[in-house]
Amino acid sequence: MDKLKTTSWILLIASFASIVYAIIFNPVSWIVYAISLVSIPLFILSLGLVTMAKGSKDEEEEKRREPFIGY
Amino acid sequence: MNLMTNILINVIIAFFIGSLLFGLQRKIMARIQGRPGPPIIQHILHTFKFFIKESAFPYTAAMPFYIAITAMLSMIWVAAVIVGPVTGGSLLLIFGIYAVHKIVEHNAGSSSGSPYGKLSCVRAVYSAAAEIPLFAVLVIIYFKTGTMNITGLINYQTVHGPLLYAIPLAALMFFVLIMSKAPYSPFAITKGKDIVSGYETEHFGLLRGYLMMSESIAWYMLLWVFLTVFLGPISIPVYLIGMIVMSSIIAFINATTPLLNPNHSIMMQVTFAFIGIVGSFALLMI
Amino acid sequence: MDITILGSQIIGIIPLGDIVFYFTQFNLFMFATALAFTAIVAISKTETQVEAEFGKLGDRAVTVAKKEFKIRRFLAIICGLATAGAMITGDLFDFTLFVCLTGIVNIGIVGAVRQVDVLDAAYQYGLIAMMASLPLFGGAALILAATGTLSLLEINSLTYTTPMMILGSILLFLGVAGETGVAPFFATKAEMFRTPGSPFLLIIHLSSLLILVRLIEILLMINKPF
Repeated sequence: MDKLKTTSWILLIASFASIVYAIIFNPVSWIVYAISLVSIPLFILSLGLVTMAKGSKDEEEEKRREPFIGY
Repeated sequence: MNLMTNILINVIIAFFIGSLLFGLQRKIMARIQGRPGPPIIQHILHTFKFFIKESAFPYTAAMPFYIAITAMLSMIWVAAVIVGPVTGGSLLLIFGIYAVHKIVEHNAGSSSGSPYGKLSCVRAVYSAAAEIPLFAVLVIIYFKTGTMNITGLINYQTVHGPLLYAIPLAALMFFVLIMSKAPYSPFAITKGKDIVSGYETEHFGLLRGYLMMSESIAWYMLLWVFLTVFLGPISIPVYLIGMIVMSSIIAFINATTPLLNPNHSIMMQVTFAFIGIVGSFALLMI
Repeated sequence: MDITILGSQIIGIIPLGDIVFYFTQFNLFMFATALAFTAIVAISKTETQVEAEFGKLGDRAVTVAKKEFKIRRFLAIICGLATAGAMITGDLFDFTLFVCLTGIVNIGIVGAVRQVDVLDAAYQYGLIAMMASLPLFGGAALILAATGTLSLLEINSLTYTTPMMILGSILLFLGVAGETGVAPFFATKAEMFRTPGSPFLLIIHLSSLLILVRLIEILLMINKPF
């Protein structure tokens, strides 16, 4: 598992946990605002990083062999 | 209702309605141009399709800035949802968020190192001149009502009637502002097709899906702010009808006008601002 | 704390002698945004711009050299902190000082680049920023003379607007517009933004827009509605 994958799993779990915490325990409003501002975007981003498709190993090789054709 | 649940529901509603409105806009544009056009849910489908695609990050990008900037866009519009429908807070804050949206446009473009993104970034700086109508709108609303609070503005309008009739030119300026954020609009110079996709060119796959989600929320929020600030206390069906009507009008304008070149786009907006400011103050003085 | 500013309740104040920082929902959000962007800038690498070479098929990569990177990052962080300060300060003179500081470091951020066009643009921006400091401080001084105070909380509780205060606000606006290089002065800025170093350019743009939005708040506090 590479670094990006690990980080995104940690972020996903942390943000999900904080959102659930805010729903269940109903803390003071400013804490809820802080949680929603930080956690909702991070949750979506990390969810995307975790669920995005991965190319297979031999496809990876092919992509690397492709010459850089510039912009 | 629980505050967190309230926020979550509002964000999800904002995303779905915003996406559907974008889809509707494309449909109307297509019909005007004599094409069948994509289905209305196409924008949502696109968003999800991009979101689960395999993504790579460019070699040349400024990491982690390149990813963080997309999270920033999402964060500011979640903040807008909290300030708007959830708490009815400061209107000034919504405009602050609008300003930060400009910064995100600018830096999403430059963070990748692509020439298209860079051009979009320079255009975003140019279009900072379009901030003048933004501030004029704020000033006029404040001079008319004496408050900058959304709840306060709604209360003012329950007593005095919709602001749309009292300060029509400010509404016009705000409308131009909203239009500059619509895709394919004559003022959308940062996303012009002459520079591929502007600042989004190098944000593909997952990050593009993420940006599109935030943009849908942004579109919903801009229309929501317009309807709330200028029409006052209205019910949910009226909000929906208002949003559909505004999206249709903007779709009509977008379908029939070309993309202006950056200088013309700015000058048009500045002209609108000038007419709006002078006219509004004249109306306030009378 | 039962003070309302432009219709929103004050959440809290931080008194530091005669300089008072105050928070409303608006100020707090802007402050947090400025700090968040500063943090991102502090940990980011810069991007590599790929340009086509003229007359050949090759590409040319334009990067930021290490020495240049260090000084620009330092200045960018200072700029972010100054912007964050300008968002919450409750003292007009303090605000002008913060604005002036962002102007100076913005010139520094682009002045560190070794490209002739960019240095030209930075020079012109520097001239405008220097000239704009006169109306900037002059405006604040006129408002002090007209109201007898520099504290925004005090000015907020006044019930009148004299012509001198309006003149002061106009000068203040001119000063901030020149110092941050917006609207009529943005032409020099667009040229500076072509260089690599996206995170540092972010802070230039961020500071100017956030300060402008904050300035609107201050101007609305000084000038009461009819």
